[in-house]
Amino acid sequence: MQYKTLQTLLLLAGSVTISHASVAGETLDRIKERGELIGVMDQAYPPYSFLNDKNEMDGMDVDLTKEFARRLGVKAKIETPAWEVTTAGNWRGRWDICICSMTPDAQRARSLDFVTHYYSSPAVLVTSVNGNPLTKLADMEGKKIAAQQGGSYERYLNQTLKMEGYGAKPVTYPFKAVQVMPYGSEDLEYQDLSLGAGKRIDGLVSNLVTANERISKMPGKFKIVGEPLFEDPNWVAIDKGDKEWRDTVVKIFDDMRKDGTLQKITVKWIGTDISR
Amino acid sequence: MNRNTIMTSKFKWQVTLVWLALMIGFIWFIAKFDLDMAYVWEKLPFLAGLHLSPDGFIQGVPLTIYVCVIAMLASVILGLLAALGRLSLNPLAYGISTFYTSFFRGTPLLLQVLLIYQGLPQIGPIPTAIPSGIIALALCYGAYLSEIFRSAIVAIPRGQWEAAMALGLKKHQTFLKVILPQSMKVAIPPGMAMFIAMLKDSSLVSVMGLWEIMFLAQSYGRSAYRYMEMLITAAVIYWILSFLLELIQARLEKVFHGGKTR
Repeated sequence: MQYKTLQTLLLLAGSVTISHASVAGETLDRIKERGELIGVMDQAYPPYSFLNDKNEMDGMDVDLTKEFARRLGVKAKIETPAWEVTTAGNWRGRWDICICSMTPDAQRARSLDFVTHYYSSPAVLVTSVNGNPLTKLADMEGKKIAAQQGGSYERYLNQTLKMEGYGAKPVTYPFKAVQVMPYGSEDLEYQDLSLGAGKRIDGLVSNLVTANERISKMPGKFKIVGEPLFEDPNWVAIDKGDKEWRDTVVKIFDDMRKDGTLQKITVKWIGTDISR
Repeated sequence: MNRNTIMTSKFKWQVTLVWLALMIGFIWFIAKFDLDMAYVWEKLPFLAGLHLSPDGFIQGVPLTIYVCVIAMLASVILGLLAALGRLSLNPLAYGISTFYTSFFRGTPLLLQVLLIYQGLPQIGPIPTAIPSGIIALALCYGAYLSEIFRSAIVAIPRGQWEAAMALGLKKHQTFLKVILPQSMKVAIPPGMAMFIAMLKDSSLVSVMGLWEIMFLAQSYGRSAYRYMEMLITAAVIYWILSFLLELIQARLEKVFHGGKTR
């Protein structure tokens, strides 16, 4: 009897410590029980996610998360830990889903499951109007080009970006080695670039949507160089290992594509349908 | 010339003038930034925490104060225990204390925050953001305070111990009633400097998504492309809070000096 109890205890302890992956369906059960879907995203990545005038999280990713929760029949709650914390995976039930403009790659796929593609954003090279602006993509060679630390743009500049297997076209590099300048936030990149190309940096890599926003908010400062560098596929991410939850997410997104809700929400925020 | 004689009203008035001049210089410097003041006034109530966050929790200044006050109290206790361990002849206490201060002074606070927030779930408990932040700040600053307390205790002349023992006080009584009150006098200025540093380091807990001063400032700044405005606003708020801590320090020094300024 005592031996049996001990065995059960050991088994329990083992299952608690060893089971890295969540049990099938665990996530959905948790959400239903809580009556709340906890979506995680970046604190400031306008127009996808940002704090609006009412001091609430708002944006395309927020609307999609709310719509997703509505279809599950629960409320949506948005949490905004640092990007590095989100991408580290191992959420341990803190968060349920990341409709958060994340670009899949082999490295991130080790800590998170990428479930479904929901929009594409072209990456562009931005330079300044003043100073010694770059004129074509090949001009990047040997120049100081900024990119968000830990993001796919930084890996692109280091020529280590791998995006095979996520519906992405293979990446080409129309330049030789550049001097990569990793930044903690895009704001600082744009601020340094606004001093004039050649001062602190010569250019930066950003996505077309946010680049256009900056250009319209601060006219006469920045311009986009040449064609987009590559298309960044953005996928919905979840914590590793819950197959049932994965299937649920795929199904809901398929429904949103079929009835046009996904397209409608992207058009509302971006002006064009970027969901293909 | 000692402080009592020079602290005349004339001296104070002159100091005020110097402050004003430096202040005007600072404001002139900031004015050169061509800031959008309308945006600052619009967001200030949120940073100051006059509104609750969407999920009905405190945000901005109150959240920063809440995290810091609890972490300060905990760090004083930790620091005192570590200082005693460092002064003890017991190898276990000495070992734990030296390892603790070495680790928490020798590694970046950001890493400590993440070790607690991301690391603890690997071995069991899943702490939420606020306790993680408080624990990290308390452990880190407790390690710094322990050295301040230790040097303050050692600074009290040996004769004080001997005199108290001669009067028949036990060792722990001597420590609590004679040595500790006197060493507090020595520990207050550097200890308060630590609290001022902690106040600003508390912005690191924003990596867990806590809506404290720095988190809000960065979010608003990035969302509206008004980054400098918001950072300068946050800086002014931190400065005001630090100034309040300086006032508390002045009061405490008076208390522990028994009204005598040297």
